[in-house]
Amino acid sequence: MAIATMVSRITGFFWKLMLGWIIGFGVVQDSFTIANTLPNIIFELLLGGVLASIVVPLLVRSHDDPDGGQTYINRLLTVGMTGLAVATVIAVALAPVFTRIYIDGSTGNANPELATAFAYLLLPEILFYGLFALLSAVLQAKHVFGPTAWAPVVNNLVVMATLLVYAIVPGKLSLNPVHMGDAKLLVLGIGVTMGIVVQAAILLPALKRSGFKFKWTWGFDARLKEFGGLALWILGYVLISQVGMVVTQRVLSAASAGGVSIYAQAWLLFQLPYGVIGVSLLTAILPRMSRAAADGDTQRVVDDLSTGSRLSAVMLVPISAILTVSGVAIGIALFRAGATDLAQANRLGTALAFSAFGLLPYALVMLQLRVFYAMKDARTPTLIMLVMTVVKVPLLYMCGAVVDPRQVVIAVMLVNSLTFVVGAVLGQMWLWVRLGNLHSKKIIAVISKSVLAGLGGVAAAWLVSRFVLPGTIGSMGRAWLVLIVQSVVAGPVMVGLLMALKVPELKPATSRITRLVRRG
Amino acid sequence: MNAHFWRAQDSYLRRDVALTLLAGDQGDAAAVAAARRTLERAAHATTLNHPGKARVLDVLSQGSGIGAGEGLIGIIVADWVRGTDLIDLVAEYPVPSAIAASLLEPLAAAAETAHHTGLVLGLDHPQRIRVTPQGALFLAFLGAPAEASLHDDVRGLGAILYLLLTGRWPLPGGPEGVPAAPLGPDGHVVAPRALYSYIPQELSEVALRCLSGDSIGGIRTSAGLIRVLERAKFIDDETHQLQAISDDEEYEDDGTVWTTRRPSNDRATRRKLAVGVTALAVATVGVLAWLGMQLISFFGDTEPGAGGPTIVATAPGGNPQNGPPPPQPGEPIQAAGVRVYNVKGTADNPRRATFAVDGDPKTAWKTDAYAQPFPALKPGIGIMASFAEPVPFAEVIIDSPSDGTVVEIRTAPTERPKLDETKVIGRATLQAGQTKLQLDSAEPTQHVLIWITTLAEGNVSELTEIRFLRAQ
Repeated sequence: MAIATMVSRITGFFWKLMLGWIIGFGVVQDSFTIANTLPNIIFELLLGGVLASIVVPLLVRSHDDPDGGQTYINRLLTVGMTGLAVATVIAVALAPVFTRIYIDGSTGNANPELATAFAYLLLPEILFYGLFALLSAVLQAKHVFGPTAWAPVVNNLVVMATLLVYAIVPGKLSLNPVHMGDAKLLVLGIGVTMGIVVQAAILLPALKRSGFKFKWTWGFDARLKEFGGLALWILGYVLISQVGMVVTQRVLSAASAGGVSIYAQAWLLFQLPYGVIGVSLLTAILPRMSRAAADGDTQRVVDDLSTGSRLSAVMLVPISAILTVSGVAIGIALFRAGATDLAQANRLGTALAFSAFGLLPYALVMLQLRVFYAMKDARTPTLIMLVMTVVKVPLLYMCGAVVDPRQVVIAVMLVNSLTFVVGAVLGQMWLWVRLGNLHSKKIIAVISKSVLAGLGGVAAAWLVSRFVLPGTIGSMGRAWLVLIVQSVVAGPVMVGLLMALKVPELKPATSRITRLVRRG
Repeated sequence: MNAHFWRAQDSYLRRDVALTLLAGDQGDAAAVAAARRTLERAAHATTLNHPGKARVLDVLSQGSGIGAGEGLIGIIVADWVRGTDLIDLVAEYPVPSAIAASLLEPLAAAAETAHHTGLVLGLDHPQRIRVTPQGALFLAFLGAPAEASLHDDVRGLGAILYLLLTGRWPLPGGPEGVPAAPLGPDGHVVAPRALYSYIPQELSEVALRCLSGDSIGGIRTSAGLIRVLERAKFIDDETHQLQAISDDEEYEDDGTVWTTRRPSNDRATRRKLAVGVTALAVATVGVLAWLGMQLISFFGDTEPGAGGPTIVATAPGGNPQNGPPPPQPGEPIQAAGVRVYNVKGTADNPRRATFAVDGDPKTAWKTDAYAQPFPALKPGIGIMASFAEPVPFAEVIIDSPSDGTVVEIRTAPTERPKLDETKVIGRATLQAGQTKLQLDSAEPTQHVLIWITTLAEGNVSELTEIRFLRAQ
């Protein structure tokens, strides 16, 4: 299971890299990126949050039905898929509207027509995202996990193949005017959609093996109603976060070509440490915390929250430090190949460096979110998201106004991280209102020590690159060299400083990482 | 042991002293032996100096300071320290948890120090304990009972904590006026938290564990207690401060200093503070964002090709040096027609547009002279070149004397498009002389717009010659 998740992450990351190498950071990737997020967003709005928080728990409960949940599952699939099919048709019809919401074409730096063309090809993914989500929920309720975990890997492989075909197909994408029949356009659009189709289809044999037979069953399960209120707030959360997303994309697409893709890739890199370390931490702490919250044991919830926050600080702040000092090297090491030129890889890395400080706030926001949900409070996270968005939107427009158009993507990443700082402070304050004392001083003490250690690491890495490897980074090989040297120097310095500062959380953190490494 | 605690005055040195009077019949051998042990312990205690305990000045026993028939078998004389009785402190209301912890801590520390040297303090009765004006408990009346052990001290500390938290005394033989702690069904005293739910679990538990002593889970050294007290003090600092800030009115209404209830508007206060802190965070973030953007601008690279006689400008998303080779410039191609492209107001010298493509360096197309730079009156002005058929372009070369003019090369779907229908494929700042703009997008287009976004000095620009090179 853990291996499947790891492999799917790695392959997923790799095809994003390939996207950079083969297509480059320009109008084409911008248009593709936005068009490819559209089905995801729409699916998330229609079903995503609701599915995770409501349908799956109900699925598990429906096992106690006289028929073992068969009717419930059939009804769910019938109603859910029909609804999604209708939604998909409407969404495809509205594709031009969606792309014009997300893309600001007024400056001529973006190409809404191309994005719309991609969207026509990619929006049908909604249906298959839904099918995949529903089927994997059904399988999980039956305690079948394997196919669900490996299916995304298959999707990633299909996309990689698609990208290779895209590279081989001769010709060039015509940008103005956009031709729907363009071979490259069709390859990319249809191939990526096929990835999602395959990802869903691969679950069908497993479902059959589990002895499930599909029968059209119409109707609405009364049990769904009791969750209505919760679902509404979750929907609100997604909607509000989309406001921030829309403004982000509009500012980026108006500023310069390639901004949208650089942002997407930088964000992917930014999330990577959290995805590996933060999530493993969350999965360890979450069940315990949910149980404590269900028992009304505030003290234990607070203890777990505090432990989680402090462990996150000790693990993520040093990583932030490395990202800050080596951001440019990372950008160039990963992307300076194929169609991506040095300036763009450099910009991507700079964006990473400028936003790396937000890693811990981001992880804290995610942790706090889970605490609220564990307490069956879906309202406060939505309100926090609202405040974050209210802060974010003017700052984003400020990016567009103040910064050189090509640097806007760096500023947008910076604003993103700053918003997480606001979110983390706000979340901590509201949890304090709800739960009383959170041992915040202890958390702040650990964060301060980690930051101190991080600064030490930054200084050491900077000194090393200044005196041992002076000069700018021009090639992928040199970037790797700089990155490795800086990490090798900064890592031990930071661990040493943390030990010298007597941070007690260091031990569980390192043991967790070594366990993770051993398992991987 | 039958002890009385008195405050007395030393008539020689005119100072106050605390007397622990051991009452008993001088004929009772057992009582005398016990009293002697107590006095010895007190005499040993003179070696220990700790702010948590009074200094022993003298020890009087029968024959040395005490006459026969006084009904006394020993007196321990100690420094008198100003302060109040512990019992008075808890008489009306229990003490808030954080204060209880910080009050008890010095006393527990004194016990810990004493225990290290093998001394027993004798913390068996609340009347021995007093509170300094600085808010610390200390042992005012010394003289540990003969049979008392180190564990009894720890139990006594637990009992005092219990008393502070609840106002009740959990050990047998409590003082008058202090109610005994209620017993649970199991015969043990109930947890402080069961009496007042606001007491932190940890503090409540540690009091019980001290009291339970030898049984399983009991605390037998004061070190364990001190750790908990330090934490409790730390944990509750915030809420304590908040109460002090917020609930003045309520306190005044009650007319009391200590309250047993958690104030009802506690959460409202916290909410206010939360909003305040959030506002502060938002403001800070705003400032940081601005600073960050200045930093980005500082680090940012300048416009491409800001120097050199022939500028090679590239498309915004383009990639001239690396990656797939840019389209190689082939032969020049003549435009089928040119016109001035204007989106607002009147067009600038529309009839001279052809001068820009006529191959004659002596003729030129010139913009109007504007009073203010773009986009005051218009967003820009341009020349639209149309070709007989869609052509893939590689380069545009512009000959112009107007240094500093910024032009964009845009593709257009029609001859008269809206500006937002056109796509930027190249951009450059012109220098006096020839400027070569390399385009990376070789998709064929029938219409190319030369769009001036910034005029040269004097808000006027002149284009002598524009040449289009098709891709090979």
